[in-house]
Amino acid sequence: MFPLQQQPHMEDSADPLVTVQEMQFWLDKAVAWGQAQTVETQRDTCQHLSRLRDFTQQLLKHINSMASTTETMKRLPLIGQFLGRLCWIPSVTADASSRSLLLQCLWGLFSEHPGSAVERKANQWIRTVLCQLVTEEDAKVEPLIRQMGVAPKDYHLGVLRKRLALLQQTFEKNCNCLADKNQRCPHDDSLAVSESCIPLVTCQEAAPLINTLLQRPASCISAALSEDFLDALNSAHSRQSLLLEEQGIISLWYHNLPSLEEAVLRLLESVLANNESSPQKLEQLLEQALLPKACAQHCSMFLVVNDIFRSFLKQAERAESVHCLIHTFTRCFLRELALVPHQNSVPLKALFPQSPQSLLMPLLTLPSEMHQEAWRHHLKWLSDSLKRLTEEEEEDDRDGSRSSCLKSHHRVFEAWFLLVQCVHWVQLTAQLLVTSETQDCGPLLWLFTFYYHPTNRGHHRASQLGHAKEALDHLRALFSPLNPPLPVGSLQSVMTLLSPAQQQQQQSLSTLLIINLLVNFAVFSRQSLIGSAEVLQMVVDQSGLLNEAARVLVSLELSLNRGRHLSSDANRVQLRVQKLQHTLTHMNVPEQHC
Amino acid sequence: MEAVLQNVANAAELLAVAAHSDAVKRWDASRLSRAFHWARYCQQLHSKVHNHATMRRDLEEQLLHTNGRLQTVFPGYEGVSLSDLSRCQHLLLVGLMNNPELPIDLLKLLFDPKSPALFPHNELAGLCSGIIQCKSACTVLGVFPDSLPCGADAEVLGLVLMQRLDALLTQDSDVQPAEHFLDSVLQGCEGAAGRFCLAVAAALLTSPKSQMQTASQDFLLDWLQKPHRELQHMCSTLPTSLLRDLAKAHQKFRDSYYAVLKCWASGMEYSVDEGEWVHTSQTVTFPRLVEHFLTLLELHPGLGDNVEQELNALKCSDGDFDVRGLSVWGDLLSALRRGTVG
Repeated sequence: MFPLQQQPHMEDSADPLVTVQEMQFWLDKAVAWGQAQTVETQRDTCQHLSRLRDFTQQLLKHINSMASTTETMKRLPLIGQFLGRLCWIPSVTADASSRSLLLQCLWGLFSEHPGSAVERKANQWIRTVLCQLVTEEDAKVEPLIRQMGVAPKDYHLGVLRKRLALLQQTFEKNCNCLADKNQRCPHDDSLAVSESCIPLVTCQEAAPLINTLLQRPASCISAALSEDFLDALNSAHSRQSLLLEEQGIISLWYHNLPSLEEAVLRLLESVLANNESSPQKLEQLLEQALLPKACAQHCSMFLVVNDIFRSFLKQAERAESVHCLIHTFTRCFLRELALVPHQNSVPLKALFPQSPQSLLMPLLTLPSEMHQEAWRHHLKWLSDSLKRLTEEEEEDDRDGSRSSCLKSHHRVFEAWFLLVQCVHWVQLTAQLLVTSETQDCGPLLWLFTFYYHPTNRGHHRASQLGHAKEALDHLRALFSPLNPPLPVGSLQSVMTLLSPAQQQQQQSLSTLLIINLLVNFAVFSRQSLIGSAEVLQMVVDQSGLLNEAARVLVSLELSLNRGRHLSSDANRVQLRVQKLQHTLTHMNVPEQHC
Repeated sequence: MEAVLQNVANAAELLAVAAHSDAVKRWDASRLSRAFHWARYCQQLHSKVHNHATMRRDLEEQLLHTNGRLQTVFPGYEGVSLSDLSRCQHLLLVGLMNNPELPIDLLKLLFDPKSPALFPHNELAGLCSGIIQCKSACTVLGVFPDSLPCGADAEVLGLVLMQRLDALLTQDSDVQPAEHFLDSVLQGCEGAAGRFCLAVAAALLTSPKSQMQTASQDFLLDWLQKPHRELQHMCSTLPTSLLRDLAKAHQKFRDSYYAVLKCWASGMEYSVDEGEWVHTSQTVTFPRLVEHFLTLLELHPGLGDNVEQELNALKCSDGDFDVRGLSVWGDLLSALRRGTVG
C-alpha cells in the first residue's frame, strides 16, 4: 500500500489533495513500468489502473486548484516527470479514461499567458510530448511505411486488428483440457490476455476479442479470467460505455457476481424511483432488458436475481411496483426459458428450490393453459393449500420450537413469493369474486386477502378477512344490476374502509385490495357501463386513489390482451375496460388544470 | 490536367504553411477542418493518378517546381514527393503538431474526443487521442507471441504490398512502374530492411484470391531474382521455417532458393585456422548452409536424388577426394548424408 501520511513540510499546506509521498509512490511505479514492456510489468500496470485513475483525478483537482503552473510545480516538483513518464506507458495511454485524465492534467499545466520562464518551458514541453506521442514511430518500421505510402494511423489500426483477430481465433479454438491435462490448451493465456485487455474494455476494436474471452468454453479448466478485467468491464458497463454484444454481457454477469447484482439493483432502483410508471412501461423495459434471457440461460443467475427480489420483498411487502416488477420479470423469464433448447433446460425444481414443490406447477401454469371450467376448482385448491400452510404456521407459533416457527414462516413466505411471481392467479381470483355466487366466494376471498396480507402480524388475519368480506358484499351491492338507485349505505361503508382513519388501524384492510376489487367489479359485473363508471368515479374521486385504480385497470387490460380472458363476452369486457379508462383519464384532466 | 497540377501545388503549399508558417496562429476550427478535407482530397487524387506514367511525370515536375519555390520562403521546408500525397492528412497533422504557433484550442480539439462546446460535431475531435489509443493498444497486445509466421505487422504490410502491385500491374501492361515502386521501397527502407523481407514473405504467403494476385506474386518472385541481391538477403535473414513455407508455396522460390544456396557454397573457402568452410563475402556459415539444404530437402524428398547427383558431379569436378576441407561439395554431401547440422 502506498503511504497516506503527509510529509512534515506539507502539513501546513492548505491543500492535502495530493501528497508528495503519493506522488513518489506513483512515480516509482511509472519508472518501473517504463523500464520494460513485458507481460509482468503490464500485469502490474493493469492491476493498478483503477487506483492510478483515482490518483490522476486527484492530481487534476490539485492542478486546477492552483493559481498557476509555477505554483503547481513548486508544490509538486515531480509532477512533470510523473506525467511525462505516464505518457509512455502503453497500458495507461491505451485506457480511454486514463488517457483523458492524463491529457487534462497536461492541459492544466499549460499556461495560456506564460508569466515566467518555467511556464514557457512547461508549455514547450507539453507541445513536444503531445507531438511525439502522436507522430513518433518505430525506426524499424517508419521508413518502410513511408516508402509504401501507408499512413501510420492506418498501419497501426491494421496491426491492432490483426493482433486482436489472432488472439480471438486462439480463444475460439476448442480444447481437450478435461480429458488430457498434459496437453497444452489454447486458452492457457486467457488470464494474461484478459489482464492486458483491462485498458481496452472500451476500445471498439477489442470488443469481439472481449466477447470471445467472456464466452470461454465451460469445459475448459485453463480458461481463467482476471477479476480486475471483469471489474473493469462491469465499471464500463455501468457507465454505459461498453460495446459488447448481448451474449458478452450475459457472460459478464455469469462470471462476475457484483456486475449481476448491480444490474438487478439498477433495475429495481429505476422501478422504485419511477413509482408512477405504468405497467406497460415496465413491461417494455423488461422486454428489452437482457436479464430474463440471461437467467433463462444460467440457472445460477436466476437464483441470484430471485434472492435479491426476495430480500426487497421482505423489506417492502406492500410495494406494488416491486410486485409488478417481480411478476413481469418472472413472466419474461418463463417465456425466455421456453426458448432454451430442451437439452440445455433445467428442471423447474432447480430454478425454484425454495418454493413449496406442491404449489410450483399449479402456480406456474397459466390460466390460458387450462379450461375455464377448471379455474374455480384450481383456485380453490390453491387457496386451501396456502391456507393449510398458514394454519401450520399459526400452530407452530403457538406450540412449536423457535426453529420450527422459523421454518414454517419461511414456508409461508416462499409460497407467497411464488404467488407474487405468478400474480395472474390473483388477478383471476378478483375476476371470479365478481362473477361468482356469494356462497362460493370463501376460498377465493381467502386467497385474495392472503396475497395482500401474507403475514399474520398481530394475528389480524381473521379480522382482515372479515373486512374483505364486508368490502366484497358492499361492492356487490353497489354494482348490482338490480339495485338502482345507488345504495348510499354501501358506498359509505366502502369509503369508511378506505378512509385514512381506518387505514391507520392495525387490522385495516389494504386499500389496494379494495381498489382491485372495485375495478374488477366495474369491469366484470352485470351492472350497466354507465352505472359502473359512475360508481368507480365516485369511489375514486372521494378516496383520491385515482392512480391506484388506473394502474389496476391497465394491468387488467394487459392480462386480457395476453389472452387470459377467453370468455365469450371478451368484446364486451374489452369495451368496458376502454370506457372505464376513458372515465378515469377524464377525471384526471380537470385535476391537472386545477 | 491544369487544374490537377494546380491542386497538387496547393497541397504542397498547405503542408508548408501548416508546418512552418506563423499564419497558423490565426487558424480556427473550420479552417482546420478545411485543411484536412483538402488533404483527404489530395489522397484521393493521388490514388487516381499515381499509376499513370505521363501524369506522374507531370505531377512530379510540378512538385519539384513548387518545392523549390516554397523552400525559398520557408527554409526549413523539406519538400513533398508524389508518393507523400498518399498520406497527406498524416503529413498535415505532423506539420501542425510541430508548429509551435498552432493555437492551443485546436490542439485540444485534436486530442479531446468529447470536444468542447466550442467545436460541436467536429470530425477532427479526438483524432490524436484515437491514434494514441491505437498505437498503445498495439504495443499492449504485442507482448503476446504472434502465431503468424511473419508477424502481424509484416502481414499488414504484405497485404499493402500486394494491393499496390495489383493496382500497378492492372493499370498497365508495362511492369516498369511496379518495378520502380519495389525498387524505391527497397532503397528507401534503410534500417528497416529486415521488416521489408518479412513483408515480402507475407505478401508471397497470402493465399491468392484472384488471378491478378497470382500474377502479382509471380511478379514479386521475378523481382527478387534481380541483381540487387534481395533474394540473398531474404535467405540469410529469414528463419528457415519461413523459407520452407515460401519454398513450399512457390516452385519459383524453391528453385531460386536452391540456386542461392549453391552460390553461397561455391563462394566458400576452407580456413585451415578455423578448421571450417567460411564464406568470402557473405555472413553465412557452413553449418547454417547445411541447415538450409536440409530444410529444402526435407520439404521435397524427391529433390534429394537430383541434388545428390548435382553435388556429386560438382565434387567430381573438384577431384572427387573424400578428405575433409578439399571440396565444399564433398563436405556438404557428407553433412547432408549424416542429416545433421555441423
